[in-house]
Amino acid sequence: MSATTAPRVDTSAGSPRPPGPRPRRRRRLGTVGHRVLVALLLVYLLAPFVWMLVYSLYPSSALQQARPDLDPSLLTGASYARLLSDTSFLVPMANSAVVGISTTIICMVLGSACAYAFARYRFRGRSTLLLGMLTVQAIPVIVLAVPLFILLRAFGLYDRLPGLIVTYTAFILPLVVWMLVGFFDEIPPSLERAARIDGCNRLQIMVKIAFPLAAPGLAATAILAFITSWSDFFLAKVLTSTSASTLPVKTAAFQGLFAMDYTSAATAGVITAVPVLVLALVAQKWIIRGLVEGAVKG
Amino acid sequence: MAEIELVNVQKTYPGRKEGPPAVDDLSYTIGDGQFVSLLGPSGCGKSTTLNMIAGLEDVTSGEILIDGQRVDDLDADKRDLAFVFQDYALYPHMNVYENIAFGLRMRKVPKPEIDQRVHDAARRLDIEHVLRDKPRRLSGGQRQRVALARAIARRPAVFLFDEPLSNLDALLRDQTRSELKLLHAELGATSVYVTHDQEEAMTLSDRIVVMSRGKLEQYGTPYEIYHRPATDFVASFVGKPRMNLLPARRGGAGRYDVAGSGLGVELPLSQPEVRVGLRPEECALRDAAPGDAHGTVKVIEPLGNASDVIVDLGQALFTVRVPGFSSVRVGDRVQVDTSSARLHAFDVETGRRLVD
Repeated sequence: MSATTAPRVDTSAGSPRPPGPRPRRRRRLGTVGHRVLVALLLVYLLAPFVWMLVYSLYPSSALQQARPDLDPSLLTGASYARLLSDTSFLVPMANSAVVGISTTIICMVLGSACAYAFARYRFRGRSTLLLGMLTVQAIPVIVLAVPLFILLRAFGLYDRLPGLIVTYTAFILPLVVWMLVGFFDEIPPSLERAARIDGCNRLQIMVKIAFPLAAPGLAATAILAFITSWSDFFLAKVLTSTSASTLPVKTAAFQGLFAMDYTSAATAGVITAVPVLVLALVAQKWIIRGLVEGAVKG
Repeated sequence: MAEIELVNVQKTYPGRKEGPPAVDDLSYTIGDGQFVSLLGPSGCGKSTTLNMIAGLEDVTSGEILIDGQRVDDLDADKRDLAFVFQDYALYPHMNVYENIAFGLRMRKVPKPEIDQRVHDAARRLDIEHVLRDKPRRLSGGQRQRVALARAIARRPAVFLFDEPLSNLDALLRDQTRSELKLLHAELGATSVYVTHDQEEAMTLSDRIVVMSRGKLEQYGTPYEIYHRPATDFVASFVGKPRMNLLPARRGGAGRYDVAGSGLGVELPLSQPEVRVGLRPEECALRDAAPGDAHGTVKVIEPLGNASDVIVDLGQALFTVRVPGFSSVRVGDRVQVDTSSARLHAFDVETGRRLVD
């Protein structure tokens, strides 16, 4: 009874509200501020891409004047039609696809098995090996370009797709392993022990338990591997000349010595970016989960 | 149904050869259909022992036999046992049905039988309504039940439990504990249960294995463990509040005195010095004249139905559990009445029990 009839004590009397906006209003202001910042960042990141898209869809004459003419009636897909029917563009595009897909598959097959071993087995030299792989990543590509060129030429792989695939695999695999070790580490060992009791062997544990659970991580890593090999310019430029040339090299070739075909370059840029964009959009849920789960326990 | 026999089982982890083995020379037999708890503090080797029985860890030396057949060189899935993990270890990417069915599928049990067994186990544990849900949608208690259902559906000869209740809140833990006991009575399968909670071990088990630092301290019924602890470790580990263990010196024929207190007990022993053990709930307190007092009341901890009174004996503290709210007050001079207490005495060197 006394609890219900007792006078209410004003606990705020001794501590007046701090000056400034009320907490809820402050929170709302904070949210608005965040949104403005995100919008600015988006504009900053997307502007070059949008401008590239505009360049690929308008005749260059409409854009190369003091006030660009963005009349929608001028929109045209002619540049796309031209490039996508031009063998000298389609071959590098196919090369890029072959190199990107092959590198991704090889990196994921080798990398997932390797990362699983790193995550689950404790063996002599484990840390040294992991660190060693990261050290390889720290060497600037430009330092290795000439030795790689000599090596590939010696093995008859210069200007050939297998040469590019092997080279990209060597560069991307350590990164793939590093990323996947983190994802496999997140899987509680008790799940795999439960699977052993349930009758799984090592391979079945990997396929039925570890891989499905690391799927977001595997997807994120695979996309990263594909994007890296698909869009690399420098190594492709050094290690190929004509027959194994890739899309980024071809795109750069639109810049002539004295003039540049902006429309073709922009169109090629968009075509190069589209698969990456599509992949990222399709798998965005997985990528975000993959990237977040690496850091935060799910 | 199965009898588990451990013969001189030892476990040493590679790279940790300097220290004592994780499990040191364990030998005991778990009878067919019995519920046996492995009890001990963290790091005593109880989970390692369970993992070795399960086949999740190798035995460094010694043998493990199930129904007379050596199993320590068999894979985990060939030992006909089910394991309930502390964190439940439910596969997050499978729904409850698939979680329960997974082990059966791996053993190539025909589909209709899998379906029947999954539903049987789910019905028994009252989780039929969540069979299509993923584990992340379940509460802790429900996950626990799914883990149990997964074990039951396998119909193994042996159930192994690794602290399965430790992630549940207190109320649910008590409830699930009773259900586990009921389940064991129904199924009758041999069960080995790892816990650090003596209450769980006492309430659930037919027999208890008490372990400390990888060694077996005692293997006996809850009654034996409580009333006839084999070592001072068991005496102090089992029982709440802890048994009073006090150094005592031989005074006269059969009399041992607790140093500095005037408290003495009669023991048919000849050792010059022993550790005397007295359970707090078997002792009582009496008001004492200043000359007769054993000590002074230092702290009173009322629990409602009883109070723990901690008495300062001068060189040691002595706990007495008295019924209800204590009438003594802090600072009172009191005498400890041990006349109705069962006397325990342990060797000061080895810690082994000295009286029957």
